[in-house]
Amino acid sequence: MRTKLMIAMAGIAALLLARNLYVILLELPDEAAQGAIYRIIFFHVPAAWTAFLCFFAAMIASILYLVKKDLRHDAFAASATEVGLAFGAANLISGMIWARIIWGIWWTWDPRLTSMLVGWLIYAGYLMLRRAIEDPTERAKIAAVVSIFAFVDVPIIFFSIKWWRTQHPQPVVWAGGQMDPAMYNMLFMNWIPFLLLGAVLVMIRMNQERAQREIDAMRRYAHAM
Amino acid sequence: MAIPAVRGTAAGKRTQPPRLSFLRQSLTIASKDLRSELRTKEALNASFAFALVILLLFSFAFEPTAEQTRQIAGGLLWLVFAFAGALILNRSFARELPNDCLDALVAAPISGAALFAGKALANLALLAAVELVCLPVFGVFYNVPWTQQFWPLMLVLLLGTWGLTVIGTMFSALTVNLRLRELMLPMLVYPIMIPALLAAVQLTTPLIMGEPLTAELIPWLRLLAAFDIIFTALALALVETVLVR
Amino acid sequence: MDARNFTYMFYGFLAVWLVLCAYVVSLAARERKIRREIERLKMMVEEKSSTGAP
Repeated sequence: MRTKLMIAMAGIAALLLARNLYVILLELPDEAAQGAIYRIIFFHVPAAWTAFLCFFAAMIASILYLVKKDLRHDAFAASATEVGLAFGAANLISGMIWARIIWGIWWTWDPRLTSMLVGWLIYAGYLMLRRAIEDPTERAKIAAVVSIFAFVDVPIIFFSIKWWRTQHPQPVVWAGGQMDPAMYNMLFMNWIPFLLLGAVLVMIRMNQERAQREIDAMRRYAHAM
Repeated sequence: MAIPAVRGTAAGKRTQPPRLSFLRQSLTIASKDLRSELRTKEALNASFAFALVILLLFSFAFEPTAEQTRQIAGGLLWLVFAFAGALILNRSFARELPNDCLDALVAAPISGAALFAGKALANLALLAAVELVCLPVFGVFYNVPWTQQFWPLMLVLLLGTWGLTVIGTMFSALTVNLRLRELMLPMLVYPIMIPALLAAVQLTTPLIMGEPLTAELIPWLRLLAAFDIIFTALALALVETVLVR
Repeated sequence: MDARNFTYMFYGFLAVWLVLCAYVVSLAARERKIRREIERLKMMVEEKSSTGAP
């Protein structure tokens, strides 16, 4: 049942992506100042939104774990964080490629870019911390606390870097000012397949966590015999 | 308002009133930590020596007498504090591992929050001691007039150090049972404390050059205070679940 | 379509999907590892229960 649901979701995501790619490449006009490359934004921005949604969901699951002590919440938090990191990496790398052309440099210390990098590093630390702890309940508890700390920190990081950068000259994001509504809608249209894809990946990862728990139980059983 | 007051006095006959006892408990833990640290001075000496070495290394990385180096003075100073501080923070909970002292502390009739507050206060004192030694050395090495804005600088130092301490002590408690804790602690603490570090650097650089706190620096002071308050509250709320196994 | 910066647009798209594919590959690798581990443990348990029981 669950496998069928996952396949269906992945199929819808693929169809939507194909349809969106057609619109993005062939129907939407070029951006006046940037040429073809502005189209990266239709993957860049939804990836960032998906990543932040994953981290937010992980925080909620972490709070739920601390309240209910159910290891399934912990499995969800770990899975969502991992998928969020994958989307965050996609966001960072596509952003760098775009910046190379438009701003002339691979990396600018733009608040959004820098916050994403710092958040990415914190959550990478979260996963490394999980690997370093053997005991499942101990790991779940410590990881939950780190996840809450990390998500509380992300907005503070964003505003601190924003203040820091306003003291320096910063590049203009959209030379033309407002975005065309058709382009703006496309950001959301392309977010839907990203969300579906993210959900499928989280489900796969959670299945693996469950299998891992079964393995641990079987190991204990085998040793007991 | 009447009911809690009555309860407070009724309970007070048998035990201490709750708020006073929280403060007392934390101070007891803090003085215990300071006493045991001052007996061996292990972490303190290591931290001092490390801070001095980094200060020396910086002079090779940057031309120590150049005007540009003076403009990044605050950043250099806070990097030294953050690196040297990690040595002290690492030991904070790990010190209690031999002889199962940590289990005894957790089993003691005090809340996890009081234990955490006590440890954080002790770490604050130790870090402040290291910083107060580093500051004149830094002033001599890099020729900065750090005494001109002494009290504002002390305020920034206190707020920034508390931010480092509260995050560091919390993660010290989280990673205490890990084999890799010396590696995990800096990797988790430094990215999380970026806002505090950034604000402290922005404030320290002009102050250490003898320039007064101007109006445009006030938002940084607010950010630093907000960071301290948010994470102190979060740590006090969550530390109990972390410590109890 | 405008030919300006077309190559880098392509690189950008490629990068996004390469990263996500890399993650999927790592998931599949983990899946295989878990399957193997379960098989191994099942055999171990069966072996033990057949030899252990009189």
